[in-house]
Amino acid sequence: MSRREGSLAPQADSSVSLLPHLEAKIRQTHSLAHLLTKYAEQLLQEYVQLQGDPFGLPGFSPPRLPVAGLSAPAPSHAGLPVHERLRLDAAALAALPPLLDAVRRRQAELNPRAPRLLRRLEDAARQARALGAAVEALLAALGAANRGPRAEPPAAAAAATSASAASGVFPAKVLGLRVCGLYREWLSRTEGDLGQLLPGGPA
Amino acid sequence: MLYRSLTDCIAQTMDIYLCLKRPSWMVASKRMRTASNFQWLLSIFILLYLMNQVNSQKKEGPHDLKCVTNNLQVWDCSWKAPSGTSRGTNYEVCIENRSHSCYRLEKTNIKIPALSHGDYEIIINSLHDFGSSTSKFTLNEKNVSLIPDTPEILNLSADFSTSTLYLKWNDRGSVFPHHSNVIWEIKVLRKGSMELVKLVTHNTTLNGKDTLHHWSWASDMPLECAIHFVEIRCRIDSLHFSGRKEWSDWSPVKNISWTPDSQTKVFPQDKVILVGSDITFCCVSQEKVLSALIGHTNCPLIHLDGESVAIKIHNISVSASSGTNVVFTTEDNIFGTVVFAGYPPDTPQQLDCETHDLKEIICSWNPGRSTGLVGPRATIYTLYESFSGKYVRYKRDEAPTNESYQLFFQMLPNQQIYNFTLNAHNPLGQSESTILVNITEKVYPHTPTSFKVKDINSTAVTLSWHLPGNFAKINLLCQIEIKKSKSVQEQRNVTIKGVENSSYLVALDKLNPYTLYTLRIRCSTEAFWKWSKWSNKKQHLTTEAIPSKGPDTWREWSSDGKNLIIYWKPLPINEANGKILSYNVSCSSDEETQSLSEIPDPQHKAEIRLDKNDYIISVVAKNSVGSSPPSKIASMEIPNDDLEIEQVVGMGKGILLTWHYDPNMTCDYVIKWCNSSRLEPCLMDWRKVPSNSTETVIESDQFRPGVRYNFFLYGCRNQGYQLLRTIIGYVEELAPIVAPNFTVEDTSADSILVKWEDIPVEELRGFLRGYLFYFGKGERDTSKMRVLVSGHSDIKVKNITDMSQKTLRIADLQGKTSYHLVLRAYTDGGMGPEKSMYVVTKENSVGLIIAILIPVAVAVIVGVVTSILCYRKREWIKETFYPDIPNPENCKALQFQKSVCEGSNALKTLEMNPCTPNNVEVLETRSAFPKIEDTEIISPVAERPEDRSDAEPENHVVVSYCPPIIEEEIPNPAADEAGGAAQVIYIDVQSMYQPQAKPEEEQENNPVGGAGYKPQMHLPINSTVEDIAAEEDLDKTVGYRPQANVNTWNLVSPDSPRSIDSNSEIVSFGSPCSINSRQFLIPPKDEDSPKSNGGGWSFTNFFQNKSND
Repeated sequence: MSRREGSLAPQADSSVSLLPHLEAKIRQTHSLAHLLTKYAEQLLQEYVQLQGDPFGLPGFSPPRLPVAGLSAPAPSHAGLPVHERLRLDAAALAALPPLLDAVRRRQAELNPRAPRLLRRLEDAARQARALGAAVEALLAALGAANRGPRAEPPAAAAAATSASAASGVFPAKVLGLRVCGLYREWLSRTEGDLGQLLPGGPA
Repeated sequence: MLYRSLTDCIAQTMDIYLCLKRPSWMVASKRMRTASNFQWLLSIFILLYLMNQVNSQKKEGPHDLKCVTNNLQVWDCSWKAPSGTSRGTNYEVCIENRSHSCYRLEKTNIKIPALSHGDYEIIINSLHDFGSSTSKFTLNEKNVSLIPDTPEILNLSADFSTSTLYLKWNDRGSVFPHHSNVIWEIKVLRKGSMELVKLVTHNTTLNGKDTLHHWSWASDMPLECAIHFVEIRCRIDSLHFSGRKEWSDWSPVKNISWTPDSQTKVFPQDKVILVGSDITFCCVSQEKVLSALIGHTNCPLIHLDGESVAIKIHNISVSASSGTNVVFTTEDNIFGTVVFAGYPPDTPQQLDCETHDLKEIICSWNPGRSTGLVGPRATIYTLYESFSGKYVRYKRDEAPTNESYQLFFQMLPNQQIYNFTLNAHNPLGQSESTILVNITEKVYPHTPTSFKVKDINSTAVTLSWHLPGNFAKINLLCQIEIKKSKSVQEQRNVTIKGVENSSYLVALDKLNPYTLYTLRIRCSTEAFWKWSKWSNKKQHLTTEAIPSKGPDTWREWSSDGKNLIIYWKPLPINEANGKILSYNVSCSSDEETQSLSEIPDPQHKAEIRLDKNDYIISVVAKNSVGSSPPSKIASMEIPNDDLEIEQVVGMGKGILLTWHYDPNMTCDYVIKWCNSSRLEPCLMDWRKVPSNSTETVIESDQFRPGVRYNFFLYGCRNQGYQLLRTIIGYVEELAPIVAPNFTVEDTSADSILVKWEDIPVEELRGFLRGYLFYFGKGERDTSKMRVLVSGHSDIKVKNITDMSQKTLRIADLQGKTSYHLVLRAYTDGGMGPEKSMYVVTKENSVGLIIAILIPVAVAVIVGVVTSILCYRKREWIKETFYPDIPNPENCKALQFQKSVCEGSNALKTLEMNPCTPNNVEVLETRSAFPKIEDTEIISPVAERPEDRSDAEPENHVVVSYCPPIIEEEIPNPAADEAGGAAQVIYIDVQSMYQPQAKPEEEQENNPVGGAGYKPQMHLPINSTVEDIAAEEDLDKTVGYRPQANVNTWNLVSPDSPRSIDSNSEIVSFGSPCSINSRQFLIPPKDEDSPKSNGGGWSFTNFFQNKSND
């Protein structure tokens, strides 16, 4: 396993040529991640616009509070082996859908006349789930799939449920902003990690 | 009470003093001073005694009696013990006016039952070891103070969600005997520093029982923001108590505080408030709050206890959908809340309830003004039916204001009347609307479906449709729209009984056979509320029936009179009742019958050879069902010799024909018409009019304006038709489209004869009403021609209304003059185009002769008369205009060189022969010589000073002519030359004239070559090269020289040399030898006139000739 993991290491990418179908799969997943990153950017902008001032004002930056069930990409993420990074990406993408759903439900109360935002949130949850599954499938194809049980999604679901039940509207708005931001960050991180698997990708 | 005792003592003392004073009035006045001093000392003594008495009483008796009550039943009276009393002092208190009740006690207060109104004497006797002292007091209820017991707050609670404090206390009313009003004063304090934020009064009534009272207060600041304190006091306002009513003491303070946890919180959380209200937000924090924002607006901080801060927002505006954010920022975090500013629900407007199917009631309304609140804060509508007690609730996100809301309410069995109340509520309030409906009167049926048509017969069909709903108990009113092709639609209402199975069937009759109908249906109820929408359209063609009438028939004899042409019109669709397949025609007389059968439909005439017998023609139309009734017409035409052609003009679309009633006409009148320009037979169309009619309007789509039609009115008798009137007419007259063609038949010097032709009927386009003939002087291609007809003042117009007139003679014209002639025709429809022509009249020779002869005769007569006069007065004329000029040669005073006058070779001594001297003075402008005062003739040169510099800059010539006087003698000619001036006296220029005259050529060859006399006048008018050369030569000459340029002289006299210079524009008259010529005295004639030339006759020549003579 370690040998196979080693073959996935960026240092060994240039010397090992991936199977064509695997390469196509990586490329496809990478493209999906790239596309979803753009969507996530649009989602974040639209979310901010609909929360009212001071959301969206230049100086407004709520603290990056931790979200239960979903960790932020750590600074040490880049130093991890690529398969480990992909595992973390997949886990985060699996944890995001319930959080995005919770955000959507809250926004349905706050902005019922913003169907585009609601649709984007709904799509984001579905797309995060799909990208996570694709990354996991890729890891499986690469022989680096998770072996242990996945505990994060249920935890995230519980956290999302508690978050959606939060009493305050303002904390819910901030939480939604945080979730959308994390969604964008994890997609960007996933796109970067998948890019390293591509032939000719950054070393 | 104390003052009462004092007053009594003073009164007693004054009595003593007055008793002592009274005997002093008896003593003598001498003793009065001694007595007065005594009295004064005595008064002082008494006063000191009294003061001592008072002090001793003060010091020794109980004093400061004060009574209070807290329940109006018992008075608690207390006093101050006399000074020096020990503990063992006893007091006896007696109340005089109350059956002399006395109390013995050891303390300085006593509780006595409340006394009724009035004054009471209270005697307090203090008993102690060294004696006793007594004090009397007067006690009245007015001196008693009512001070309630200090109230106590039973409970102080708070609803933090609404920032409301709830206060509960007991009024202890059971201790008061009477109903009394109680004024409570409640004080709310905030923060640890107990800042007063609210002080309110609260009124209650004591009812003899202990009563709990509640008071609540909504704080403008969330209660979580700071600690709040509450205390209370009261004052009883009893009508039965006349004493002082004083406030109780404040109750023990109670407070409400929120126990903050470790987290920073912002309050209020997610509050919904009314737009325009004020609200306070606070941030309960353990760390320093740096700033606060509402939306994007910074707010000033209000510091509360600890690090907590608050902000106050005034007149908040409506929030966005997701609310208005309020954010507090600390050093490393932000905290916030959201406020939703909106409106309470507007009263539901236009609430209305109806049903489509009598199964379900649909109530709809307009929400009115938007609340601005959505989601969980949106308006919830509840439709409540009061008779049944049932309700339905509706909640949805706010729709746009103009969108209608709907709620569905299931109908209840056997209930027709419904009383609906629509309640709308949101966190800010509620509103409601009600409506009472009889639902059977509010039926708006669904759109009928499955609409079908079936034939019954040629005039009736059945209609069936499906209408969902349970209408078994009511009648339906349905409307059927029947639309024939290209005709007006018809609507029929039918009432049918409602059914449960929703299928309906109705018969529709009174239709036309063989007619295509477009049918549709809609329904309502008998108690009309609304029509349903129309069902789909259904087209249906009814079946055929036999034609209801025979065709409209007419007949005409052919031009040769042998054949009878039978015409008939196709039956209209409502009479044909089907497709006409063929026609049968039969002609029957008493003797024979001829038939033409099965004439196919498109053919609508038949020709039968008949003799002149009377026939009855019968025409029958046939369709697939059967034959029409025959239509009959007689062939005979009754002659009528009394016929005139009449004219009629229509009304735009048709022509009105009228006639007198004729009882002989037993059957229809027939009007036939045709285009008058068409060839025979004349039949465009015909119309039958009932015999009792006397007028009809003939209208036809074929009528065209400007087309002449012939109309023939026939009357129908039993035996046949008789032509009654022949009419020509137009439905509308138009202007002619062509101009009448006219020619000039004859032309003389003063008249023109014009002839024109008729305009063809087709181009006339109306009844000709006349011609307009314009004429006036004019030539082709002049602007005048174009305005000929448009009212030029020189234009004459003749209106010719006699249609038979075809010629016109225009008289009083001028001879040999071009005339412009225009002719145009007009009808009532307007003026036609014009046709124009130019004609030149002939020359008038007699007039010309007269015109020539008269001036000639006049001229001759004038000439003869003038000649006679001149002849008779010739001496006078000669003396006046042509006097003799002395001959210088005969003058001995002068001697001329021979060159001056030919025939004299040497200078002669001037002989002073008697002569008539002439004085001619020629002066140059440079000369300073004095002018000769005499008649001056200013030459043309002198009148044109601007020419002097070019032609003769050095000379200013003044020629004076004074025959009788010699003012100066001529000085030495040499001196004249030196001075640039010359003065010459001529004697008889005329005598010198002949010898001095030279041909022009000679003058040019030797202009100044001689040293003799030269004319002194130089006319520089013609500045030719030769002139310039001549001037140069003149400058070189010495002695006398002529001062005029000979070249410019034009000798016009027949007896003088004549200069004809083509380059010379100005011709001068006179002698080349002397400027002192008579011609200068006579104004020159127009040189351009040919008569002025020497070849013709001239007045000048007349005199010249005469002079020569």
